[in-house]
Amino acid sequence: MKLTRRDFSAVLAAGIATSVSAPALLRSARAQGATIKIGMTVPITGPAAEQGKYAVNGAKLALEAVNKAGGVLGKQVELITEDDQTTNPGIVLAFSKLAAQSDIVAFLGSIRSTQVHAMAPDVLKLAKPVMFGGTDPNLTKLGNPWLFRFRPNDSYSGRVIADYGVKTLGKKKWAIVHSTDAFGTAGGKALTEALVKLDAPPVLDQGYANQSQDFTPVVLAIKQSGADVLGSYFTFENDLGIFARQLRQLGVNIPWVGSPSIVAVSSTKLAGPALFGTYGVADYAEDSSPAAKAFGKAYRDAYKIAPDNQGSWPFDAMTVLCAAVNKAGSTEPEKIRQAILATQKFPGAEGEYNFDKNGDGLHGYNIVKNEKGNIVFDKHIEFDN
Amino acid sequence: MDLALQLLFTGIGIGSVYALVALGFVLIFRATNVVNFAQGEFSMVAAYLMVVFAVDLGWPYWLSFLIALAGMALLGVIFNLGVYYPLRHRTFLPVIIATIGASILLANSVLAIYGPQPQVLEGWFETPGIQLGPVYLDSQYLLIIAVTIVLVIFNYWFFEHTMLGKKLQATSQDKEMASLLGISVSSMIMITFVYSAVLGGLAGLLVAPILFVSIQMGSTIALKAFAATIIGGFGDVAGAIIGGLALGIIETFGAAYISVPYKDGFAFLVLVLFLVFRPQGIFGERVAEKA
Repeated sequence: MKLTRRDFSAVLAAGIATSVSAPALLRSARAQGATIKIGMTVPITGPAAEQGKYAVNGAKLALEAVNKAGGVLGKQVELITEDDQTTNPGIVLAFSKLAAQSDIVAFLGSIRSTQVHAMAPDVLKLAKPVMFGGTDPNLTKLGNPWLFRFRPNDSYSGRVIADYGVKTLGKKKWAIVHSTDAFGTAGGKALTEALVKLDAPPVLDQGYANQSQDFTPVVLAIKQSGADVLGSYFTFENDLGIFARQLRQLGVNIPWVGSPSIVAVSSTKLAGPALFGTYGVADYAEDSSPAAKAFGKAYRDAYKIAPDNQGSWPFDAMTVLCAAVNKAGSTEPEKIRQAILATQKFPGAEGEYNFDKNGDGLHGYNIVKNEKGNIVFDKHIEFDN
Repeated sequence: MDLALQLLFTGIGIGSVYALVALGFVLIFRATNVVNFAQGEFSMVAAYLMVVFAVDLGWPYWLSFLIALAGMALLGVIFNLGVYYPLRHRTFLPVIIATIGASILLANSVLAIYGPQPQVLEGWFETPGIQLGPVYLDSQYLLIIAVTIVLVIFNYWFFEHTMLGKKLQATSQDKEMASLLGISVSSMIMITFVYSAVLGGLAGLLVAPILFVSIQMGSTIALKAFAATIIGGFGDVAGAIIGGLALGIIETFGAAYISVPYKDGFAFLVLVLFLVFRPQGIFGERVAEKA
């Protein structure tokens, strides 16, 4: 083959271009490996945008502590967030954007069960660990080995609500109000099952659609049922606030034990006196343990607002994940997965983490009471099975 | 019976909110032949303005209320000049898309400025409500119903018995003819946008103490108000009021007697039935007048 002058020039130009760009490419490659990247799908817009802000607060608080202590595998950890818009299509899109970045080693998902269900098939395909906060018990029974839960699931919350209402408050005539989304339906079902076991089957099981503007029919149904205690699973704090006010206005003053949203900062602020005297199961209760207290103090110092579960679970998820990557000594997904599953007796803000084979880290709940707007810890109820 | 009375009161209360927003839809449609999809966001913006003045700055409630409404009038002017006016000679589609764009812009601007936290806005009254026999009357709903009645009367008087109202009607029926008669069409459309923005804002201010102030409050109400306008007949002021009230009552009774989770479903089922069997709405559009 004869090398022409044109061919020679082309080869020379390519050579020069490569030699000029090579250091830049190397620098870029080094930069890509300079940090350990964790992705996070979080509502920045949509109805849960406020809670999304708290979730990012929690994750960042943990990140600062991890980085201050030397980071992970000798590198600083970086958080990359994508807006899930508080919708199922939104979270699928957000997760796909993050999944496309091959250097992200693990993810923090949503606190909303419906959305975790939506992203679960993609998580399985990607095969990288995802920490989440949704409490639908089915999520860790999907046979998806990459999902890890950082809040107790609703089979525990249902049992704790039922246990507390029946045994401590001495009430047996229950009305249950729940959202008709995955979280609310599963929660309502778990509470019903627990009440049936305690020989107190509910007299009313009332679902409602999220983003309702008026709860009068629900309140009147409770009134008519003759229930002497109310158990609830509300997904959005806004809905809970409207319901609480209308419940009291229409003269229903029976004891009320609710799922964690009843003691969330937004709910207590929105509903005000309408929630005074109510009880809630809370995965995060500031006085429940020294670790919870330490998180609470750090969160208040950093953000000047009261801590709640929206911030505590991503804090724990980030802390446990970083510790697991360090323990695994590698960013290989399977090794991280094994390290998370091996996490036992880890004192987190939400409680003591003892992961089971399904990916559930916590196995109990705290009962707290709203005393004139202050959330006061009452007791912790833990289950072995 | 007690239950029905309570439901009727709540249904009329929530229906009045839909009616107020629907009225804004109708007035814009009559004047410009386009649907303003930012009408719900007007309610949300007004409620946030009220929070800024009454809660954050601690100004008197009545003064904050008037400032919020004045702010809405200004927004109506900006909206007309920025969204409608540049596209006024185009077909209705670009204008509708522009109003959707404006609604997204408004929602996200408030989100960026004020943050995502829902806010509490107290009502006008010290007492949250009164117990009248078996029925609890929420004071805020009573106020909403009263304002709706006053507005219906005012609208009737304004459009039928004032020169400005007649000019607005003439403009909505035939812009070219109105122009030939010496009516300033641009001014009439400007007035309509201002009035609609104030109406939407008023609905937001009235409903905020019940639904709280959030970025989503406008879009939730607007969807129902839009359905109300179709039920009432697009372009019909009385229809918007009747449609709004009907929707509020239907969904409240449907929820209580059939199924709570399908509450929104009843409203939209009625909407579909109207679209199929009576697309011109309850009263029907006065086509002859448009011709």
